[in-house]
Amino acid sequence: MKYKDYYETLGVARTATQDDIKGAYRKLARKFHPDVSKVADAEARFKDINEANEVLKDPEKRAAYDQVGSGYRAGQDFQPPPNWDGFASRGGAGAGGASPFGNGGAGFDSSDFFESLFGGRGRAGAPRRRGPVPGDDHHAKVSIDLEDSYRGAERGITMRMPAAGGAAQDRTLDVHIPKGIRAGQSLRLAGQGAPGSGGGQAGDLYLEVEFKPHPRFRVDGSDVYLDLPVAPWEAALGATVEAATPDGPVQLSVPKGSTAGRKLRLKGRGLPGKTPGDLYAVLAIALPAADGDSAREAYEAMAKSFAGYDPRARPAG
Amino acid sequence: MVSQSPTGLRGSIVGEETMLTIVELCRACQASELEVELWIVEGVLQPAEGSTREQWRFGAVALRRTRAAARLMRDLQINAAGVALALDLIERIDGLESRLHRIGTTDE
Repeated sequence: MKYKDYYETLGVARTATQDDIKGAYRKLARKFHPDVSKVADAEARFKDINEANEVLKDPEKRAAYDQVGSGYRAGQDFQPPPNWDGFASRGGAGAGGASPFGNGGAGFDSSDFFESLFGGRGRAGAPRRRGPVPGDDHHAKVSIDLEDSYRGAERGITMRMPAAGGAAQDRTLDVHIPKGIRAGQSLRLAGQGAPGSGGGQAGDLYLEVEFKPHPRFRVDGSDVYLDLPVAPWEAALGATVEAATPDGPVQLSVPKGSTAGRKLRLKGRGLPGKTPGDLYAVLAIALPAADGDSAREAYEAMAKSFAGYDPRARPAG
Repeated sequence: MVSQSPTGLRGSIVGEETMLTIVELCRACQASELEVELWIVEGVLQPAEGSTREQWRFGAVALRRTRAAARLMRDLQINAAGVALALDLIERIDGLESRLHRIGTTDE
């Protein structure tokens, strides 16, 4: 187990006052809150920040942490002292009661390091009740390909789930991804959350869907966009061109006189569903290189033919 | 890759195949009914259907926003009005970012 430097996590000195700690925590919590931050590891950072705060905001726990931790550096191998019998028992929690530092209010998912110092018993958080208690609902995110939504798919999903006793464990589920599902929608899997106790029902699992970024397609709700390069003469004279869509290639007719940025709509070819989305091909004019005699001559002939054309002239009006 | 016969667990799409009652929403988001009612008043979320509390049914947007509201409130000690403001701003940023992405000028 690695030693964690909670002061470093919050970016405060070991001599920081409780107010300093509170301020530093609040600032970092806002910055790395998973609902606010776009940083890739925001969730992990937020957990670390919360864990550090959980210890440092409490003068008793902070003192205990300072005592066992003096002499350690972040990342060093750590073992609690042999006479360390867990902090919870010193805190005066009633026998059988939930640990006051368990998963109670903050609901944070603590590290092994934290558990070795302050954990121990009753991580469940909620006071024990008699009779059936339903299990908690769980949430996870699942990244799928855009094509999965077009066709439906089967996906193996691995989640880290809190298990009884506090440790996290991996759980893999095969899940059917229904056709037409959109980013931001959730799949509800009844009974796949945490098991209930005392004969209570298991909770549900909610899987929130997001699309992996696609090199060619962009999604907006149920509409899908793609860039369609066309040659200048195809745009000017009109043409029928082939476009690759998530659903396979289609023939698209480019109207004559088209300009870059023009959107060609294929109704109902977006994400499927009760109200299917539309597919938009956004035209981009691709210029062939003038790298041969005949290509150069063609450009020169064009320049001659369009002698009066000023691409920088503002349109009248 | 034609869709094979489904073997995996089948869920239901929240907001389309299934709607959530206030009890289910609260359970899913670890929020209290009182909080949800307060957030409805503040405009954080709204029921997709129903005019009374018992008839309220919530969809995908409400599920997402309620979860975020519960977490923001708990983690950052923000009150209902602050949660409403934060969520509106986050949504606006998301909208702008996806617009940037759509016109292909994002550096992500």
